[in-house]
Amino acid sequence: MSRNNIKIFSGALVCEGSKLRGDITVGSGTIIHPSATVIAEAGPIVIGENCLIEEQAKIIHRVPFDQQNKENIPILMIGVHNVFEVDCTVEASKIGNNNVFEPKCFVGSRVTVTNGCTIGAGCHITEEQILNENISICGAKCQMREGLDKPAPQNLQMETLLKMLPNYHYIKKPNMKQQV
Amino acid sequence: MSYITGPEYVRYACTCGLLKSLPNLYFCRHCSQLRCGFCVCPEVDSIFCGKCSENIPSAEAKVKKNKCANCLICPSCQQDLSTRIASKGVVNPDDSKSPAKKTYYLSCYFCGWNSRDVGIPDQTSPTGGWPERENVHSNRLQELLDSYKQIMLSQKQQKENDKKKKFGKFVSYTDRTGITASALRKRIGIPDIPHAMLRKPKLPESSTATTEVEELPDKFFTQEIDLLEVTTIEQRLLQPESQPVTVDKLFPAHKQLSIKKSLRCRHCERNVSKPEYNPNSIKFKIQLFAYYHIPEVRLVKVGDLKRGQPCEIIIKFTNPTQHQTTITILNLDLAEQERYVEEQQMMDISENLEVLSLQFKQPTSLPSLPGSQPSSLLSLPPRQPHLTIKSRKIKQTVNSTVEIPQSVFILPPRDDAAEYDDSNDTHNIEDDSNLVIWRKSNKVCIKLLVNIHEGETIGEEVFCGFTMDHVYTNIIAANFENKQPQKLNHKVRIFLNLGKM
Ligand SMILES: [Zn+2]
Ligand SMILES: [Zn+2]
Ligand SMILES: [Zn+2]
Ligand SMILES: [Zn+2]
Repeated sequence: MSRNNIKIFSGALVCEGSKLRGDITVGSGTIIHPSATVIAEAGPIVIGENCLIEEQAKIIHRVPFDQQNKENIPILMIGVHNVFEVDCTVEASKIGNNNVFEPKCFVGSRVTVTNGCTIGAGCHITEEQILNENISICGAKCQMREGLDKPAPQNLQMETLLKMLPNYHYIKKPNMKQQV
Repeated sequence: MSYITGPEYVRYACTCGLLKSLPNLYFCRHCSQLRCGFCVCPEVDSIFCGKCSENIPSAEAKVKKNKCANCLICPSCQQDLSTRIASKGVVNPDDSKSPAKKTYYLSCYFCGWNSRDVGIPDQTSPTGGWPERENVHSNRLQELLDSYKQIMLSQKQQKENDKKKKFGKFVSYTDRTGITASALRKRIGIPDIPHAMLRKPKLPESSTATTEVEELPDKFFTQEIDLLEVTTIEQRLLQPESQPVTVDKLFPAHKQLSIKKSLRCRHCERNVSKPEYNPNSIKFKIQLFAYYHIPEVRLVKVGDLKRGQPCEIIIKFTNPTQHQTTITILNLDLAEQERYVEEQQMMDISENLEVLSLQFKQPTSLPSLPGSQPSSLLSLPPRQPHLTIKSRKIKQTVNSTVEIPQSVFILPPRDDAAEYDDSNDTHNIEDDSNLVIWRKSNKVCIKLLVNIHEGETIGEEVFCGFTMDHVYTNIIAANFENKQPQKLNHKVRIFLNLGKM
């Protein structure tokens, strides 16, 4: 990995204390808390709009060992309205929209997350699989359940954070214009 | 406090002979003895719902099958369900000022299950009126219950009748004349009605077995199973009356009630632990944990464990009480404990013999007095028999001996303010420097030498033990009799696991 190439669209809020490494694009409206970690180790990461990445959350684009020698590693696309809660570790190869990663959960690099999924607190998902839409995983046994609806977006919380965070933290300046 | 959950290196011998770590022991102030979980008698103090914090009388809880009538739990993950508001348009669409129409549904914050998933209609009031599912077997169950109650009743009656026959040969004058009531009836010509209580209870219709069972549908062999649609064992057992197989049949269940329990010393029947009645309170009215009364021993350092040479160990004593105490290290003397146990057993046997001989002398000649007869089926059983603790031998063997120090040492009282006091106040206590190597406020570290027995092999765990004699200040007696606090010497055997040789 050569150098950092961070693109932040206007309207995004990336705190100075966060750790961003590699080629990362942050969509407008996304909030990255201080001490959150995003590492684009294997290839670029594109974070969609209105995502919330909380403290100690780790998003790592890592390639599975057996695919290490392959050419053209795909971009890790993260959709819109995803919430990465405190101290979660997400290495999923693809993330859709409206997903919630609850505190201290772990999602391995062989997992594909579609839309509206909830990975419960402390759940470890490592087996190769595609999580269908609106799946929620919870409990010590990682019990799976299919819901009718996607989890409710945390708009109120996002609005408050957009107002509060700049008062207490240095913010990385957006260097890209509004996405069209 | 990692040692609470971690391996137990230091264990105290309870009065009954079991070894426990200090936080697992109680100390009865009335007997001035250690009590473990087996030496106390648990009692249900109150029954309450952990969600709505409501106290429920035990009779009511019994009727409600120990479930809360108001609180529901998630059928999917067994956590509490919460009520959520959904607004659905307005009450009166023509009026622009009309308030929004609110409906309520149940939702689980943990797994995301909600009452709409299974098609339970939203309710108009937040407190519920949630539909209850009819138990298809309720009629049959009621029938069985009723008939077993009848059987119980008639058996009880039978017993009483037998008793009566034993004591008085003739129950009534008709018996004396040899003409029973039923014979009399026959003679007069009235149809014979058996006594209400003697009537044979109606047995429930027995269920019939059938050889014809439904064929297993082909889909089990042909279709791939979708685990998301099948319920887990936990989910099925939560609803024993319906035992849903698929997740779309899950239904909110009522929350199981919790209890507050108090513990009673089995020897003096006084409480060693009693919680406050209020379900919101986590405090105790009485809380006699040994941790607050007995000096705590911790292993600080263990030297090289080698055979043939004394091993140096450093242990720390902490005084948890408000009174100064003096600690003497004594021999473990397991033989004495054994003797004590045997003595106790002998005493037990002789007591039992006495009781037996008493019973023998006074045969159960006391006729059942009319007033003492059970008036109803719900009459309370007699008070639980006085259960004493049977001491047993300490099973733990030691394979090393502690060299008993000649001197004693003092443990000053606990002083919470001392934590913030840096002036190294040693209380001007003169210590034997061969024994005490460190001291601060209510804590003392001492050095002991341990000799491992001959014949122990490498890799074996080394256990040693000693008897700690400490001065215990009992303030209970002082409170009662307005006297000076009573001081007594309390002995407890302590076993240390020093690790592998
Ligand atoms: Zn005991
Ligand atoms: Zn309740
Ligand atoms: Zn649930
Ligand atoms: Zn007692």
